[in-house]
Amino acid sequence: MTKDQPVNIIMIEDDEGHARLIEKNIRRAGISNNIKHFTDGTTALSFLYDAPDGPARNGPALILLDLNLPDMSGTDILARIKGEGPLKRTPVVVLTTTDDKVEIQRCYDLGCNVYITKPVNYESFSDAIRQLGLFLSVIQVPDVEG
Amino acid sequence: MVAADELPKVAGIEASVERRFNRIVLGFMALAFTAVLAMGLAAGLVMALNQRHVGWVGHTYQVERQISIMRRSLSDVEAGLWENEFDGSAFSRERAHAGVAELNKAIAAIDRLTADNPRQQARLPLLLAASAQIGQGSAQVAAPGGTAAKDGQWLGAITQSVDLIRQIGTAMLADENRLLDLRTADQRASAASFYLVLALAGGLLILIGLASIFVIRRYTADLSASRAALRSLNENLEVVVQERTVDLQRANEEIQRFAYIVSHDLRSPLVNVMGFTAELDAAARTITEMIDKVEEAAPELVSKDAGLAAREDLPEAIRFIRTSTQKMDRLINAILRLSREGRRTLAPERVDIGALVGTIADSMKHRVDEVGAAIVVQPGLPSLTTDRLALEQILSNLIENAAKYLQPGRPGKIEVRGHTAGNRIIIDVADNGRGIEARDHQRVFDLFRRSGAQDQPGEGIGLAHVRALAYRLGGTIGLRSELGKGATFTVNLPAAYVAEQGAST
Repeated sequence: MTKDQPVNIIMIEDDEGHARLIEKNIRRAGISNNIKHFTDGTTALSFLYDAPDGPARNGPALILLDLNLPDMSGTDILARIKGEGPLKRTPVVVLTTTDDKVEIQRCYDLGCNVYITKPVNYESFSDAIRQLGLFLSVIQVPDVEG
Repeated sequence: MVAADELPKVAGIEASVERRFNRIVLGFMALAFTAVLAMGLAAGLVMALNQRHVGWVGHTYQVERQISIMRRSLSDVEAGLWENEFDGSAFSRERAHAGVAELNKAIAAIDRLTADNPRQQARLPLLLAASAQIGQGSAQVAAPGGTAAKDGQWLGAITQSVDLIRQIGTAMLADENRLLDLRTADQRASAASFYLVLALAGGLLILIGLASIFVIRRYTADLSASRAALRSLNENLEVVVQERTVDLQRANEEIQRFAYIVSHDLRSPLVNVMGFTAELDAAARTITEMIDKVEEAAPELVSKDAGLAAREDLPEAIRFIRTSTQKMDRLINAILRLSREGRRTLAPERVDIGALVGTIADSMKHRVDEVGAAIVVQPGLPSLTTDRLALEQILSNLIENAAKYLQPGRPGKIEVRGHTAGNRIIIDVADNGRGIEARDHQRVFDLFRRSGAQDQPGEGIGLAHVRALAYRLGGTIGLRSELGKGATFTVNLPAAYVAEQGAST
């Protein structure tokens, strides 16, 4: 993630506690990129596509997506992002409690890049997030199409 | 849609219609037989009567014939005597004698024939007297040596008698003719009544026939109508059953989905509790380290309470939070597993229970040996068509439980038995372990409920899982047990599992 333009991490997660724990552990992995947090799908989507400083108009991004959101299903957001549009190459990491096989398959079919189940056990959870942080530090994020 | 409870009502109506129909047809049959019998009897009676009338008519003719014979013989007697007066020949004498004999014979016959007729009988003494006179006279006249005057006297007397007999004969004939008329009329009347009886019986038979045809036709119409009603009811019943089944499956799916969603949503806050507990733990450790350092450098700065809080209270609180959340996590995972199991599509196949139990026993051999128990499998266990995985889970849960809850001081013995009962397969898993109290027999099948001393690990999920699986396979599970004397779990499964229809998962 050492690029000319800093990569924004956009976290869509309705649970404040989870968001906080995820952020803490990403920071512990040494990731210092800006993390923007949204607790519902509607504001997240309007930021992604319409905000002047949002990824669609301004720079590359990486999306952390929870599937259980209060106003819409995470898979709908995933389908919107991975469909035709400026964000279709933006990496999406699905980070959710569901480990249902059908759900996992559906997310990969829709074009999700990584699917991670949140472990209930906190040690595993923080491990997973830290590893994700390490992973984030090495992946290449494509530029958003103008 | 016709309610399903109308079926018995229709059947009842049909039965009563059938009973009434049977009664009516039977009544008609009895009536027809009675009519035929009455007709036969009447015909016989009328025939007998007719026969008697015919006999009487014949009788009258016979009497009339004897009367004419009598009158003819009189002519013979007269003629013979007159001839004898002139020629005195033997021939004429013979003729008169023959006439007299004829006359007597005829009178005797008339006496015999008219024995039942007092009017005619009253005339007979006169006839006899006259005929005696004639007999005597003719004997005198015919005797040789009689004077002409004497003979003339005798002849006159004879003529008188002959006239008398003739008169009487005429009267008798008139009487007999009257009787003949009467008897002929009687005969005609009896013949007429015979035909009348015949016509009446025939008419009755025709009526019964018509009525029978009418009743049978109406009954047939009723029958076909009720059959049509029954058919439509039947078709409706299938629809009703199908609808109910679909409803039931929908409800079942709803519950499964509900359990799934609830368990997922319960997990999410649990992640926070556990996560922040870990953070708290890390923070507490930092604080404890600091207190340790402070105590080393300046012991007077650390109060007793602060030291206790950092070294004992905080770790204890965190430990309790941890164990509780871990337990909750296990429970939620159990619900999740149950709900997933409920969503799994069952795949029926031929399963040999003996082989299946053998595999389970092998996989548990190590543990069973460790606790000093033995598994005995009855040879020749039946086979059935069912979902192999589900049955394996049922049996392994039951055998595991049996090996787990042994009676201390008694070597465990786990017995697996089975037999076929009609189209059901009964499998018993019996042990000689610590048993289950009667009041817990239902409770042990409930989720998270356990019985007896809580000295074994477990969440109270196994038997709930087993019962859910047994129900899904179309079976039941029961328990016979006495505390301290072992338990026998009986699984009753259909010999051939029929997949639920219209299941959407």
